[in-house]
Amino acid sequence: MFSWYYISGILILTGINLLTVLGLSLLTGFTGLFSFGHAGFMAIGAYTAATMTMQFHMPLLLALLLGGVVSMLVSLIIGRLTLNLKGDYFCIATLGFGEATRLILDNVQYFGGSRGLPGIPTYENNEYLAIVVFINVLAIVAMVFLIRSRHGRNMVAIREEELASQAIGINVFRYKITSLAISALYAGVAGGLMAHYLGYIQPIMFQLIKSTELTIIVIFGGLGSITGSVIGAIVLTFLPEVLRTFFQWRLVVYGAAVILIMITRPQGLMGGKELNLKAIWRWVKRRRGGAENDSSAIS
Amino acid sequence: MTAVLSLKNVTKKFGGLTAVGDVSFEIEKGEIFGLIGPNGAGKTTIFNLITAVYSLTEGEILFHGNSLIGKQPYQIADCGITRTFQNIRLFKKLSAYENVLIACHKLANYKIIDTVFFRYGKNYQNQERKLHEKTESLLKLMGLWEVRDMTAANLPYGMQRKLEIARALALEPQLLLLDEPAAGMNPEETIHLMELIRQIRDEFDLTVLIIEHHMDLIMGLCDRIFVLNFGKALAQGTPAEIQEDKRVVEAYLGKEDDAHA
Amino acid sequence: MSSFLQQVINGLSIGSVYALMAVGYSLVYSIMNFSNFAHGGVIMLGAYIGLYALSLLSLPFVAALVVAAFGAGLIAVVLEKIAYSPLRRRNAPGLYFIISAMGASIFLENFVVATIGPTFRTYPQIFDSKPFMIGDIALGRIDVLMFVISAISLGILMFIIEKTKVGLAIRATSYSAKGSAFMGVNVDWIIFVIFILGGMLAGVAGMLFGMRYTVYPQIGIITNKSFIAAVFGGLGSLPGAVVGSILLGLIETFASVAGYSTYRDLIAFALLILILVVRPTGLMGKATEDKA
Repeated sequence: MFSWYYISGILILTGINLLTVLGLSLLTGFTGLFSFGHAGFMAIGAYTAATMTMQFHMPLLLALLLGGVVSMLVSLIIGRLTLNLKGDYFCIATLGFGEATRLILDNVQYFGGSRGLPGIPTYENNEYLAIVVFINVLAIVAMVFLIRSRHGRNMVAIREEELASQAIGINVFRYKITSLAISALYAGVAGGLMAHYLGYIQPIMFQLIKSTELTIIVIFGGLGSITGSVIGAIVLTFLPEVLRTFFQWRLVVYGAAVILIMITRPQGLMGGKELNLKAIWRWVKRRRGGAENDSSAIS
Repeated sequence: MTAVLSLKNVTKKFGGLTAVGDVSFEIEKGEIFGLIGPNGAGKTTIFNLITAVYSLTEGEILFHGNSLIGKQPYQIADCGITRTFQNIRLFKKLSAYENVLIACHKLANYKIIDTVFFRYGKNYQNQERKLHEKTESLLKLMGLWEVRDMTAANLPYGMQRKLEIARALALEPQLLLLDEPAAGMNPEETIHLMELIRQIRDEFDLTVLIIEHHMDLIMGLCDRIFVLNFGKALAQGTPAEIQEDKRVVEAYLGKEDDAHA
Repeated sequence: MSSFLQQVINGLSIGSVYALMAVGYSLVYSIMNFSNFAHGGVIMLGAYIGLYALSLLSLPFVAALVVAAFGAGLIAVVLEKIAYSPLRRRNAPGLYFIISAMGASIFLENFVVATIGPTFRTYPQIFDSKPFMIGDIALGRIDVLMFVISAISLGILMFIIEKTKVGLAIRATSYSAKGSAFMGVNVDWIIFVIFILGGMLAGVAGMLFGMRYTVYPQIGIITNKSFIAAVFGGLGSLPGAVVGSILLGLIETFASVAGYSTYRDLIAFALLILILVVRPTGLMGKATEDKA
């Protein structure tokens, strides 16, 4: 049951989720905007990339990139329309966008309607895993670089206090739309990767629950932590896949776990902190120094 | 010479309520200009109008002779006007250092593309270093260098107010708006703050507009004072003139602030 | 002309059921400022309770309706205690409530799939399928029933909100939770009341919906449309929720008549975005200004 073929398959799915979650982490964890529509951006990337390789025999990497770019362009339009909405209303608008995208795909016969697109070229698992890992490494490095720059810091400022950000000359709208566009780019590429792994895509794969799942991973990992998102994506993709035998109860447990996380550890696994060598060293030192300092780390 | 800031017949109505009615004044370069009045007189509303948080109902605001109408709040900061907030609005969960570092962002001009593709290029590295140097000098100036790694929300009240000033100075403004900078400070801190505001004004060649309830601070610090009452102009003049003014004493000093006056 | 009138009545009938669901979203939003996405799960359970009350317990229709209402009300209250109450104690931001609600919605839906099963179930036929005839207008008995029961339920709700002491407290709390807590309003009690009221209406709505169509675990997705209706009207506004629901019911009915039935859901979601863009707080929502 746990053959390499099976495990590499799960790793590929993890990588695809991780890529989307990385982008979403920028939007939600660092800029403070919640989205319930990122499955829509994945769908746009998936359908674009699949059409490019199937109809125009475009090379995979180029098709993936194009899928990401198209998704990003759509996000710019959506962002222009909805980013001025306050609080809940933006996240409701993204929900509307995600569902509308799925329903449009349901009705476009060129894309096979609700039965979807079969016969998308696929690749051998090991080769594909290498591609997925390669893209994810690039994506993580780029994201870390972005976050640790004045642009990333400005996004965090917006998350913390919007009015004060304006007062120190941060163009809040522009940073929000940039953040949304980058997250849509990541989601679009991930969608393309998904299409060329599964070999078929259907609108139903991109419904609201998929968007919810992505946002839940980001929160589970801890808002404002890239390492948290990475760990979250790995845990929350691996576990459900391994538990697939308990198919029907899997999502019951999942739903209950989400509530449990929210009421017990809402700051997520990492609570906005990053896990790196420096942090581990500090943690070890504190352990040695005695237990009395521990409480300060939690508050 | 044109005034740094001039308000011309500025009016703001919320629904039927006039928060600020027909207010005009001019601030000259290098002045420390006080804005006082009882609670609810419309002082903070005027700050919000200058920084475009609210839009004007009537009138005009000019900065170095150029109208600020139609600008977004972030563009006001770009022009060279920065502010602090009455109910402190720091980036609460970030450290004091990060608070100032973020605000220094205008000293760099690298693009998002640069952060990814030219991170180890000279241009990017130099600019980032400049931001960190500026942050260090500002924190030291405000006496916050020792607490730089503390989370902003955990700082004592007085230090939070100073951190807000440091953050506002990071943009190298020409006009600094201070909204009750001494609120929550003890007398000793207040005196120190007065010194600091003067020092900042001289060192950075600033003009300062300040709202404050501490009469000692206002009278000792300001070159000129403008008094608001129920959103309307009540009086304007030097500290000495204001202290003599009967209307002011009646409306404000006499009733509410015996202790401070 | 008569077919036009008939469609109007169909639209009103489905719209009124949406209204029953939508006021549940709005009640919660008006007090707690978040979108309770678990409400769809409560509606779904209401539909199942009604089904089993009729088929297993062989209760008469009205008794089954009451059982569904109280059952769903109870579930809503328990849900609040488990999934939201701990967040409230901690003053967590609104989006945490939404995530918790999403978790609850996933839980409820899949719990039913795992226990009862994913199949579609139909209500036993209790009413004559022969329509009423008024002139040459044919009115489905269930359609009329849906409208009448919805109208009565909403009437009761409006009475409670407008005329009773607890209603006054609810209105006060929706203006300012802090302020009314100072005035001696017990916010915990108010939240209990709005969840039981919203839950009961959800139970009634679920049963009516199940009778008209079918019952299955994913009903919650359909009921998301009632959420859209609540947004149309302006979240937090009860009259807004009712008006928005009736409008959505009419729009959907006429879209189907015009031959766009496959686009029915799409139209709803597209309208959602359009409304938000044109009127960011819905038709009757309260606008808020960020204060410095």
